Formats: sequence, structure tokens, C-alpha cells
Amino acid sequence: MKDDYLWDGSGEPDPQVQKLETVLGRYRHNQPAPAFDQVAEIRPVKRPWRFLNLRLSMQLGAVAACLVVSVALYFYLRPPTVDDRGPSWEVARLAGAPRIGLKAVGANAGTGKLSVGQTLVTDSSSRANITLNETGTIDVDAGSRIRVVQSGRGRKRLSLERGTIHATIWAPPGEFVVDTPSAVAVDLGCVYTLQVDDSGVGLLRTTLGWVGFKLNGHESFIPAGAVCATRPKIGPGTPYFEDASASFREALSRFDFGVNTPAERNALLGILLVDARKKDALTLWHLLSRVSDVERPGLYDRLAALAPPPAGVTREGILRLDRQMLDSWWNALGFGDVFVWRTFEHNWSDPPPKAK
Amino acid sequence: MGYTIDFRSAGMERQAVTAWGVTEPRDDDSLVSAAREGDRAAFGRLYDRYARMVHGILLSRVPPREVDDLVQEVFLLALRQLHALRDISRFGAWLATITRNRANDYFRRAIPDGKLTEPVSENQAESRTSNHAAEQEAAMILAVVRDLPEPYREPLILRLVEGMTGPEIAARTGLTHGSVRVNLCRGMQMLREKLGETVRGAS
Repeated sequence: MKDDYLWDGSGEPDPQVQKLETVLGRYRHNQPAPAFDQVAEIRPVKRPWRFLNLRLSMQLGAVAACLVVSVALYFYLRPPTVDDRGPSWEVARLAGAPRIGLKAVGANAGTGKLSVGQTLVTDSSSRANITLNETGTIDVDAGSRIRVVQSGRGRKRLSLERGTIHATIWAPPGEFVVDTPSAVAVDLGCVYTLQVDDSGVGLLRTTLGWVGFKLNGHESFIPAGAVCATRPKIGPGTPYFEDASASFREALSRFDFGVNTPAERNALLGILLVDARKKDALTLWHLLSRVSDVERPGLYDRLAALAPPPAGVTREGILRLDRQMLDSWWNALGFGDVFVWRTFEHNWSDPPPKAK
Repeated sequence: MGYTIDFRSAGMERQAVTAWGVTEPRDDDSLVSAAREGDRAAFGRLYDRYARMVHGILLSRVPPREVDDLVQEVFLLALRQLHALRDISRFGAWLATITRNRANDYFRRAIPDGKLTEPVSENQAESRTSNHAAEQEAAMILAVVRDLPEPYREPLILRLVEGMTGPEIAARTGLTHGSVRVNLCRGMQMLREKLGETVRGAS
């Protein structure tokens, strides 16, 4: 790739990057480590116990509690502020006549602004691009409806009601999410395509990085090259690589979204275990927490054969769905660091602000 | 897209990207564990490994002349709070967060007026104290980098100033490769454009 030199110093050297390295290198860190061994141990200072101090502390505590309650009430009840609304997305017409609400996008200039609460609509012959400098850029295909739900600092939220978007996101992981009728897509530093049809059925395809897909605590991680379907009221299915065998993909779809008898379910799981390749550990890992206690041992054995668990991860722990062990095994698969998800995803547990 | 800055005294020799141990999780983990037990030498080793990351993150946010002192402060703060780190394998991401918070604190606590919030002016002022053309040029370029959107300037400074590779930036800061790579590419593209504008504006 042409950015290899910028990425890791390999490949054809980029003269401009080299120049910048040379010029800016004068600012490089060059201070030796301080004498940490001479830093005194830090211990909390114990204050003498005094009755008067206790009384004063209680009074101050009561005042502080009142203040906290008042501030909390203010933030809970206040109308949306400018910060909640944040910057507008820049809209550029790519084809046809996309609309923001009822207004055509810049009849003359072909550009417009998309603010919180507004909806961009593309008909069957129109396409548009929306960009937010601090977040990313999104191509909106024909037949789409996308609304800006939130645009505050560090929290950007869109709602794709139907259609297809192609997102390239450079905001820090976890700052950008897209609601769909059947799941929430949380960006973890990536390029991806998200589709939603009129019935709310969705499909997410990741090109670069990875995406988290969740609904009501049901979560899927979709790394580059993988896809994941969602269904209304069910949520995200199990992610899989698109080059998996046809029988594997068919069995997985039926396993995730079909109404199966126990015998059918057992047969589908059998197909998945037999057809799974090493990289399909992605799918099997997700299935660990989606199968029954009776089904899990066989699944564990197959996954362990394809991708042995790292040190510290035991069969017993996985069978009882120990979260830390599951996360460790996920990290060992090399698709992405689950710490990023655990750190940033919780920010989106809150419901989105009410639409005005 | 190319820009034509006269780098005058800047040499063209390749400044090696120093791919110091990109992933040494076990080593880092054992050092963090030892440091938590009071092994200050182990903490010194962690300083050696992470000082460039801390320095780069600070340089992307606060005036250059303040950075060295703040690096020391960040590590002392980390040393004192190391017991609060729940997952030792996340030391890098934890340290990066402390660093960003300290940079934010710097502006909350230390600015008597608004002048330090203007990195361009501040850097230009610094550069006036020097007659060296290369220093002026470096200050100008650094100011342009620091004027980029936040998601770009941090990885660019870690890459171009501190000489870290993309994989090393990802490993040290706890970000994904994809995120770092996209931000490096987009940031570099924007930097080229901004530098081009700067040169055109000056001529």
C-alpha cells in the first residue's frame, strides 16, 4: 500500500514524510527517567479525629448533597443545549435530489447542513455524502433515510431508518454509533457498510478495523472481512466471514433466526462445527454464549481445536461463561482488543435523547 | 497535493523509525506488577518504554516548553495511582488517559489569559527567540500539526515527532490498528493540504 512508509516505515519511503520526520524530530522526547527510587511513598495523611470536625463535615456534606441533587435535576430537566446539538454534518449531493426534511439539498450549490433532529432522505435515484470533520464521512445510497440523533462533543449518533450507508470513521473508538431498528452499531475505528431494509432487517459489513453491534446486551464484534445480520426484536446475529462455505452460512442464518426444534438446532450446530475453518473461530467464539449448556462442551472442544485458548483460560471457566476468560480468548483470536469495547461501549448504554 | 516547503537546513537523511518493542505484553505486565509491588527500577523501565507516547500526547495538546515537566508529572502521578489500575495489561491505555487528562488540567489550571490557547501564536513566539531557520520552520510545521483536528494530531505527532510506528502507536495507546491507520492517513493528507496553504499564503 502506498501509505506503508507512513504506517510502519516499510515500503517505498515517502520523501515528504521523511522531511517532516527530520524537521520535527528536534521535538522528540530525550529526557532520561527521573530518579523514581527517590520518590517517597505516598500515603494518605491521617487527620486527628475531632468531634467539631465531624459536625462541620456533616454540615458540609449535607450542603454538598443538596448541590449535587440540584445540579442533577438541572441536567435532567433542562432542554437540549447547544453542546448536545453540536456541529452540523456537511451534506453534499452525489446524484439526484436528496432532501433534508422537505427541502432539496442545495438546489444550486449541491450542499447543505444536517443538524440534530433533521433527516436526510434519498429517493431511488439520489445519493449523498455527509461529513463531520471531527468524526468521519458517510456515503448515503439511494433509498435511504438517516437522521442525526446526537452531535455533542465525543458523542455522535445517527439513526439509519432504512437504506445503505458506507461509513469511514476516524473519530476515536466508541464515539460514533448508528442506531438501526434492530441493533446499534458502535464504531471501534473502522470502515464499514450498513444496510437496513423496510422491515428493519439489517446487515453490517466491515472493511477495515472492527465494529460492535449490540441490542439489549446482546453483542457481536465484526472485524474486517466479516458480516453480521440483525433482525428486529432479536438483535444482532452471529458474525461470520463472507468466504465461509455456503452450508456454513446457511446453517448459521437458520441457527440465529430460524424457529428450530431441538433436533434441527443440533443438526445445524453440527454443520457449523464440521464446516468451521480456523478463521471461523470468530463465529464459534460468539456462539459460546448463545448455545445451551448442553451444546457448549462440543462447541468448546471444536473451537479449542481450531484456536487453542490462551494461558489462564480453562474449559470449566468457558463452560460457565466466565466473562474475563471469554474476553481473553477473544483477544487471543487477534480480531481486536475487547478492552476497547468494554471501555467505550458502556457510554452508549444510555437511551438516546428524545427526538424533538 | 504535494507541498513545496523549503526545508533549508533540514537534512534529507532518513530519520529511522524506531520500532522499539511494539508488543511485549508479558514484559510490560511483569514490569507493571513489579512496579505495583514497589519496584521503582521496574517503573523506570516502563518510563523508558512509554515516555515517547506520553511526550507525544502532551506535545499535541500543550505548549512545547511545558511538555518535559508535564511528562515527569504524568509519570509521578501514574506511580502514585498505579495501585488503582485494575487490569495491568491495559497500562498503556490507562497511562494515555492520565496524560490526556493532565493536558486538559494544564489548560484549566495554568492559563492566566487566552494566549496559550493559540498554539500558532505561541510557537511563533517561541521561534522568535531563535535565529535558526530550521527551528522556525519546525515550529511552524508543529503549529500546523497542532492545529489539525484532535483525532489526527496525536497519531501524527507520535509518528512524525516521536518516531513510533503505527503498530507501536496502536499497541501503546490501546487503540485498534484500523483506527490509527485511518487517522494517520487522513491526518497526513490534511497536513499536506494545510502546509501547502501555509506556503502559498506566505509567498
